[in-house]
Amino acid sequence: MARNLTQLLISAATTLLLFWLLSIAFGPTPPLGPFFSPSAGFWANAVTSQKSDLQLDMPGGALTETVSVYYDSLGIPHIFAQNDDDLYYAQGYVTARDRLWQMEFQTYAAAGRLSEIIGPSMLEYDRYRRRIGMGCAAEQALSGLVEHPETARAVKAYAAGVNARINELNPAEYSLEYKLLDYRPEPWSPLKTALLLKSMTYTLAGHHHDLQMSNTRAYLGSSFIRQVLDIDPPLNAPVIPPDQKWDFLPVPIQQPDTVFKPSIATKIPPFRPDPHNGSNNWAVSGSKTASGYPILANDPHLNMTLPSIWYAIQLHSPTQNVMGASLPGAPAVIVGFNEHTAWGTTNVSADVWDWYEIVFRDSTLAEYRYNGSWRPTTQRVEKINIKGEPAVVDTVVYTHHGPVVQTSGSKKMRPGIPRYHAMQWIAHKRSNELRYFLELNKARSYEDYREALPHFDSPAQNWVFADHTNIALTAAGKYPLKWNGQGRFIGDGSDPRYDWQGWIPFDHIPSVKNPARGFVSSANQDPTGDAYPYYLDDDFAPYERGRRINDRLAAMDNITPRDLQQLQTDTYSYHAATVLPRLLRDLRKDTLSPLKREALASLAEWDYNNDGELSAPSLFHYWWEALDNAIWDDEYHAVSFPMERPARDQTAHLVLTDSTLSWYDNITTEESETLNMLINRSFHRAFRQLTKEFGPRGPRWKWGQVNNTNLNHLAQIPGLGQPNIFTDGARESINAIRGDHGPSWRMVVAMGPAIDAYGIYPGGQSGNPGSPYYDNMIDDWTRGKLYPLWFMKHRPSSDDSVTYMLNMQ
Amino acid sequence: MILILLLALSAWLLSLIFPWWSLAVPAILLGAALGRTGGSSFGTGFLGIGLLWFVQATYIHLANDGLLVTRIADLFSLPHPWLVILITVLVGGLAGGFSTLTGYLLGKVLSQARKTV
Repeated sequence: MARNLTQLLISAATTLLLFWLLSIAFGPTPPLGPFFSPSAGFWANAVTSQKSDLQLDMPGGALTETVSVYYDSLGIPHIFAQNDDDLYYAQGYVTARDRLWQMEFQTYAAAGRLSEIIGPSMLEYDRYRRRIGMGCAAEQALSGLVEHPETARAVKAYAAGVNARINELNPAEYSLEYKLLDYRPEPWSPLKTALLLKSMTYTLAGHHHDLQMSNTRAYLGSSFIRQVLDIDPPLNAPVIPPDQKWDFLPVPIQQPDTVFKPSIATKIPPFRPDPHNGSNNWAVSGSKTASGYPILANDPHLNMTLPSIWYAIQLHSPTQNVMGASLPGAPAVIVGFNEHTAWGTTNVSADVWDWYEIVFRDSTLAEYRYNGSWRPTTQRVEKINIKGEPAVVDTVVYTHHGPVVQTSGSKKMRPGIPRYHAMQWIAHKRSNELRYFLELNKARSYEDYREALPHFDSPAQNWVFADHTNIALTAAGKYPLKWNGQGRFIGDGSDPRYDWQGWIPFDHIPSVKNPARGFVSSANQDPTGDAYPYYLDDDFAPYERGRRINDRLAAMDNITPRDLQQLQTDTYSYHAATVLPRLLRDLRKDTLSPLKREALASLAEWDYNNDGELSAPSLFHYWWEALDNAIWDDEYHAVSFPMERPARDQTAHLVLTDSTLSWYDNITTEESETLNMLINRSFHRAFRQLTKEFGPRGPRWKWGQVNNTNLNHLAQIPGLGQPNIFTDGARESINAIRGDHGPSWRMVVAMGPAIDAYGIYPGGQSGNPGSPYYDNMIDDWTRGKLYPLWFMKHRPSSDDSVTYMLNMQ
Repeated sequence: MILILLLALSAWLLSLIFPWWSLAVPAILLGAALGRTGGSSFGTGFLGIGLLWFVQATYIHLANDGLLVTRIADLFSLPHPWLVILITVLVGGLAGGFSTLTGYLLGKVLSQARKTV
C-alpha cells in the first residue's frame, strides 16, 4: 500500500512538473506545450484549406447596414458599405483579420512598450522612445483627431472594428507571433492610430544632424562647410522646376546677429545611419500620354519587412470609391486613387528636428535660462512595464522647446544626441493628418486636393497628384519659419531668436501645377532652387534619381502605363556614369594582374545600369566606397566625435572638378597623397575586399547578391523573414533597392473614363507566416512586375472571379 | 490498441474546446480504469497522444505544403522540417505517457483502498 502510494506520488509529481515545464517560457523559447499542440499551437496557424464565403454577425448595433467584402485573387479586400461609419468599421475589422499582430506591435514599438512583451532587453529602446516624447506626440495627435468630427468618427469606427475582431478570437486563433512571444492582444483605441501616424513622422522626419554639423564646424571650420558641405552639384534638378516664380512677400524672420558657438563636450560613436530615402513619384500630363489622360506613378521607399508596412484595400460607400495602399492601424487609403483622382508621395526630409543647448540653474533641472530670466521646466513621468520584472519609472524634463532627451548614462542613446540638450520636433505639435487622407480619398478635382493639403502637417511629403486633366505636386507639410541656416547647428536655447518663429504660410509652400514641360516629379531631392525665399534644410537626397527621372520623362512621348512601370525599375546610375570614366582614366592598367584586367574590362564596357546579373556594379560600388573612405576617413577618424560627412554627389563633384584639394592627402602619413594615388589604391582595395567577402571573382560577385537585400520579419524573428533576395537596383538608381530598404509599394495609375491601375509590394496581404499570401508577391516584385488592380466600380457579379466574400451584418 | 485509440479520440475532442493540457483528463481516467502495468500504461499514453499529435501535425504539414513548418524549423535552427513534427510527437507523447502512468497508479491505490475497506 505504502509502496503504491509512494509510486503514485512520485509519478503525479513528475507529471505535474512536466506539465509546468511545458507551460512556461524559457528565455526566447515559447512554452512548448501550448506552442506545439496541434489544435491550439503554431500548427493552428497553418492555412490548410481555401477560404470560403462567410456570414458574420457583428456584435449588436455595431453596423447600421450590411457590409460586403469581396476578396480578389491577390487577397485584396474590396469593401462595399452603405455609409462611412460602417466602411471604416469594416476596414478595421478586415485589416485586423489579416494584420492584427503587426498593427499592435507597431504601436507598442512607437509608444516604447516593447519591454512589456519582449522583456528587459528592450528597456533602452523603450526609454529612448519615451524620452523623445512619442507618448506626448501621440496625445497631441489624438487631440487633433478627435477635435474634428469626421476624423473622430472614422478612428472610433475603425477601433470598434478592430476590437470586434480581437474579441471574437480564441487563443488558438491568435497570430503566430502572440504564441511565440506568449502574450495576447489588448483592446485597440484611437490613441494607437495616433501613435502609428506619429511613428511615421519618426520614420520619415526623425533625422537631425545638428550635433554632427556643430562638431564639423568646430573641427574642420566654416570654410570646409562652405567648400564641401554646401556644394550643390550642377546636375541637381529641384522638385519644383527652377523657372518657377515665387510671387509672394515672405514672412520676415528675426535672425541673431552673432553665431552661437555650442559648448559641445561629448564623445560619441561616429556617423548617423544612412538617410532613409529612395522614393520616387511623378505624373505626366495628357499631352505626353498615348491615351491623352494623365498617368501617375509612385514608389515610396521604406524599410522593407514581413509583414509589409502596406495593406492593399478598396473602400466603397455612397460618398467614395477609393483603392490603394493603407497603413494597418489607420483608416482610409494613404497612397492610391479614386474614380477622379490619384496621388502618391515621397519624403521631403526638411529639417524639423532641432537641438538646443540649455543652461540649467542647478542639477535639479527645475529651471532653465530663457530670454534673460529663469523659466521652470515641466516633468513627465514615464512608467515602463517589463515582462517578468518590476516596472521602471523614468522622469523626462521638458523645456518649452521640447524634452531633454539624455541626462544620464555614459553611453549615447543614439548617435547625434547631445546630453542635457533639449529637442524641438514637429511631431510634438498637434496635427490631424487623417483629415487630409479622408478628404483626399473623396477628392474629385485639383481644387479638392488643394483644400485637403493644409491638413497635412508631418512628415512633410511631396504629394504628387493627377485628375483627368491636371497634374500637380506640392511639398506639403508644416515647416517652421527659420532664418537661413537655422537649426543646421545646435542652437542657443536661451535666445528666443533660435525658437521656431511660426510656420511658412500654406500659400508659400512649394507647389507646381501643369508645368510647361508636361510632367511633375520628385525623388527626395531639394524641393526648390535657390530663389525660394524660405530656409527648409541643407541636406536633401543626392541629385541622381531626380535627374534620371526628369531626363527620361522629358524624352518620352505617347507614354503608356507600361512605360512608367519600366521607369520605376530603371537601374541607370548617374553617379557611375559621371564618376567612373574619371576613375578609369587615372587607373594604371599596365601593372594589373590578368584577373584584375578582366574585371577592369567588365567595368569599361558597363552601361552604368545596376543590373543584378552583372559584377561590374559590385566592383564599382566597392571602388567608390574605398575611394570615399580614402579621402575622408583620415580627417573624420582623427577625432572621437561624430561629424557630418559630405554626401555622395558632393564628393563626386570634388573628384570631378578638382584634383588638387588638400583633403586628398592622408594626414596620418608622411607621404603627400594625390587623388590619382587614392584612385589606384582604392581600386586594389575594393578588389581585395570583394575577394575577401565573396571569394575569387565569379558568379558570387553578381550585384544582385552583393547588394544584400533581405526582407526581415518586423520583430526580427528568424525564419519568418525572406533573406537573400536577388534583384536589380541600387541606392543611386530610380530602383533604389539597397539592403533592406527599397520600394515598399509600386503603383501606376492611368487616369481616364476607366481608371487603369497597377500595384505591387514586397510581401503579401496576409500577416500569417503560415499562409501562402504571406509572401506571394515577392517574386514578381523582384522581377519588376506590377499587378493590374481590380478597381470595382460596382459590386462584382456572380460570374466575376471573386475568391471569397464576407457578409457582415 | 483500443486504449490508444480511445485516448487519442477523447483527447482530440477535448482539445477542440479546452487548452492543450486537457489531454491529461482522459489519460488519467483511462489509465486508472484500463491500465494493466506501469510500463504498458506509459507506453499506451505516449502512443495515444503521440499518435494523435503525429496525425494532426502531418495532416497540417501536408495540407499547408510545408510552408509554416519550414519557417518554424528555421526559427529553431533545425536542419529538417520533420524534426518539428518529431518534437511535437515527443512533447505530446511525454505528456500523454506520464499522465496515463499517473492514472494507472492512482487506479491501483484506489482499488487497494477499496479492498482494505
